[in-house]
Amino acid sequence: MADLKNMIAQLEQVALEPAKAVAGIKSEGKKVVGMFPLYLPEEIVYAAGMIPVGMWGGQTEIKLADRYLQSFCCSIIRADLEMGMRGTYNMLDGVIMATYCDTLKCVCEDWKVAVPQIPFIPMVYPQNRNIQPAIEYMKAEFSRVQAELEKIAGTTVTEEKLEAAWEVYEAYRAACRKFVKLVEKMPKTLNAKTRHLILKASWFMDKKVYTEKLNAIMEAIEAAPAEEFNGTKVVVEGIMTEPLALLDAFVENNVCIIADDLAHESRQFRTVGRTEGTVYERMAYRIADAKGDALLYEEMKTKGQFLIDLVKDSKADGVVVCMMKFCDPEEYDYPIFKVELEEAKVPMLYMEIEQKMDSVEPLKTRIQSFAEMLS
Amino acid sequence: MFFLGIDIGSSSSKAVLIDENKNILASAARNIGTGTNGPSIVVQEVLEAAGIARDQIQFTVVTGYGRVNYTQADKQITEISCHGKGIAHLIPGARTIIDIGGQDAKVIKLSQDGTVENFVMNEKCAAGTGRFLEVMARILNCNINELSDLSLKSKHDIIISNTCTVFAESEVISQLAGGASKEDVAKGADNAIASRVAGLARRIGIVPIVAMSGGVAMNPSVVASLSREIGEEITVAPHPQTVGALGAALFALEAYQKKEKN
Repeated sequence: MADLKNMIAQLEQVALEPAKAVAGIKSEGKKVVGMFPLYLPEEIVYAAGMIPVGMWGGQTEIKLADRYLQSFCCSIIRADLEMGMRGTYNMLDGVIMATYCDTLKCVCEDWKVAVPQIPFIPMVYPQNRNIQPAIEYMKAEFSRVQAELEKIAGTTVTEEKLEAAWEVYEAYRAACRKFVKLVEKMPKTLNAKTRHLILKASWFMDKKVYTEKLNAIMEAIEAAPAEEFNGTKVVVEGIMTEPLALLDAFVENNVCIIADDLAHESRQFRTVGRTEGTVYERMAYRIADAKGDALLYEEMKTKGQFLIDLVKDSKADGVVVCMMKFCDPEEYDYPIFKVELEEAKVPMLYMEIEQKMDSVEPLKTRIQSFAEMLS
Repeated sequence: MFFLGIDIGSSSSKAVLIDENKNILASAARNIGTGTNGPSIVVQEVLEAAGIARDQIQFTVVTGYGRVNYTQADKQITEISCHGKGIAHLIPGARTIIDIGGQDAKVIKLSQDGTVENFVMNEKCAAGTGRFLEVMARILNCNINELSDLSLKSKHDIIISNTCTVFAESEVISQLAGGASKEDVAKGADNAIASRVAGLARRIGIVPIVAMSGGVAMNPSVVASLSREIGEEITVAPHPQTVGALGAALFALEAYQKKEKN
């Protein structure tokens, strides 16, 4: 058990001190490329011998970014731009950004003038993802991004290197899918905050190293006795569950995150890659095959049923919607799946969050009330 | 046996003392909330009114915004659960509770057996809360208790369109400068609160019987505006300000009985 706690603490530390973790990668002589939220071709970065790292904002005061983004824009993107302008991200050798929402589209332009010191690579995903021309288009985009990355890396990306990177990422994604299911066995050790930090660490590590560490943690969990838990089990939905004080509220009220539908967590790894075709085709199909994600257009929305199934499969008591202010795509989907959850009689708590919150007390009251309601 | 419920809100402190048969022995409310000596004062008042000492209380539950920092209770429970418990006791059959406090507004849906089924709260903004009325009272240079009297004398409808309390303040000042009467402005403020809280209530659905608790329920003009806005009759709880504290006292009784049983 002590070993398990130590292994978990190592990953937690990475998540709590990302700048230190990235500096560690740089000290090994590797270049790092920032992944602006949400889904990006990390495999190409990895195949180019560089390490992709997450850029999921942080609790920073917005001063400089106000020049470009209004207060009603997504707080994660505002924080990213702020830290870019402030020089916090100067250790990055490049940034890849995709146009998943209107704010991201604007920032793609803003970044070039606001943060000129960090090379910027745009990636445009198609709106209609599931048709053959979309796959061809994505492959062309991947090739363009590859050429840009080769310039930064000073190396050539071969099919073999891409294949190896794909294997690393598929192993990482499979490990994460297994990990989130293990929370059921140890809901106390893998409480809401610890679960989040373990998954967050993946954003600041070489995925191969991360997967080895995560597998070791999972071996220890499998060998340990199951924990008794008499608290509340919930599925969380949204972009991400920060600030950390929010997760403290889950822990304080004995609320376990038994499964998630978060862009920062499960949406990154829940879609299993196909096994046929070139690496670029498999990467394109991972986007095409993704379901129930507000950021990826669906003619017929599947999120509601996805959440209902997730609640059923994970034996959750309810759903907590963590609506990141002001994520338009998520807000558009909410009224649709709200009705579906209500019809399915799935209890739901809706909370508006932003990364920099002066006080989380009102949110704590909501979480405690929800737990009391479900107990 | 005695059971104490304390509700420490953002702008007021309340306490209710009950016996093992759920009879209310004493209640007290003061318009000073968390971070003040309000909680000590109301506790002292109910003890004195009942003629008992603190150590005679079997179980104490604290609720409200200041509940987490209050260390002299046996248990803390949220105001959502406590208002639900209090209303279910006072108004059997109530299915929707509208509670407007000093800093927040909540709408709670009760199941047929009186347990909390769903709830919504306003986000971190003073729109639709008691604070909005306080700001309006200040602009109109009157006591908050006088707002309702003013409002009932209103002759013309005026609309306060700004959701934000700060912007609404500027809007009202402009309207007064433009010749609007104090009475009409007071009514406009009531309607503004009613409109915002009704929007909140519609999010979870309004099922009769609709009950109202919280300090703002003592303002008949707001209650009337709200009733008109949601299209349902509203039953105001007796002593609406102390409903949360009563719910806390009832939880204290239940917790004690459960403890004794085990």
